[in-house]
Amino acid sequence: MNWVDREILERFRVGDEGAVKAVYERFRGPVFAIALSILRDRELAADATQQTFMKAWRAASTYDTERPFKPWVYAIARRTAIDIYRKASRVVASDQIDGVTSPPGLETAYEVFEVRAAIDELPDEERQVIKLSHFDGLTHQEIAHHIGIPVGTVKSRSHRAHQRLLGLLRHLEEM
Amino acid sequence: MAEDRIEFLASGSTSGEKPADHERLEMIRAILDDESVWSEPPHDVGDAIIEAISQEAGPGRLSQNPSRSRWQWAAAFAAAAALALVVGLTGVLTGEPDEIVVAMEGTELEAAAAGEATLRPTGDGWWIGLQVSDLPPATEGTYYEGWVWSDEGDGVSIGTFHLRGEGESVVLWSGVDPANYPMVWVTLEDEDGDPSASDRIVMRGRIPDDQLR
Repeated sequence: MNWVDREILERFRVGDEGAVKAVYERFRGPVFAIALSILRDRELAADATQQTFMKAWRAASTYDTERPFKPWVYAIARRTAIDIYRKASRVVASDQIDGVTSPPGLETAYEVFEVRAAIDELPDEERQVIKLSHFDGLTHQEIAHHIGIPVGTVKSRSHRAHQRLLGLLRHLEEM
Repeated sequence: MAEDRIEFLASGSTSGEKPADHERLEMIRAILDDESVWSEPPHDVGDAIIEAISQEAGPGRLSQNPSRSRWQWAAAFAAAAALALVVGLTGVLTGEPDEIVVAMEGTELEAAAAGEATLRPTGDGWWIGLQVSDLPPATEGTYYEGWVWSDEGDGVSIGTFHLRGEGESVVLWSGVDPANYPMVWVTLEDEDGDPSASDRIVMRGRIPDDQLR
């Protein structure tokens, strides 16, 4: 899925505020996710997120709107986070030879970006169950108690949510 | 989709053999456990981006609607009107509860046009699928813009499209509650950078009262 209409991109290229906001709203989650996974620091990740959108806007005039936008944003976000990581590493360890340091979260950066993008597409109730199950580590029983719904509903919702998530991440299997 | 893969992704185990791609599924599980995919950037990042672009672009370069404050995100998200492509999304979201269907009809400008807008709540707004027939593609230099409109006369953009070679289905997005914005309009706009609605309404519809929550 390309996620952003070509017209939005055309307006983004000329600095239309509505289009800039649209692109930001659409990609802020995945961009911040990849930045945080690489940098492990919310402040640096926020800086990387801002820089990513600034770079995208500056480079938008060279972007081919016939090509999918999401991989293009991903590439900018990844590069930006790596650059910030290396700069931060130099400050922390000034005696280290710079330029060769690779952040630890780089191997799964693409998957992090795609998983967050998929999460953003889930219906709210399914996203909630997945978050409570994985991030918060709750059992179905605990989720049922937390949300206030029958445990059977949690089970069916969890099944549906994971099924949908797998469908949204199907393209990762082809890599 | 194999049940064992769903089971493995959900729980990390299966009652039978591990799926062939269990390593990939384990990686996805590890990502889902991590805070990075669940975190949101600070609220001021969006403001900072607009501010920075505005400064870099120079006075007057960044087009905006002066009637709205700069980053009223709830409305802005809708006003920004990201148009998720139809590919995939329609299939993903079919069968959701709380669906609202709005019959759309052409105005005197496009009397033959007809269609239907389907609104479905998502986690952070409303997915709006627009099916239209007999609405011609927007000519070069123009485009269509979808709006939700309140009874008080306040309109919020939900996306743009042109129907040139993209079929008769488009997906729009709204960040405002349809209960407060019960009318759905489509206007014809010129590519002149003016973000406000033109008075060339080509289609309109209203959410039936019995469908409003």
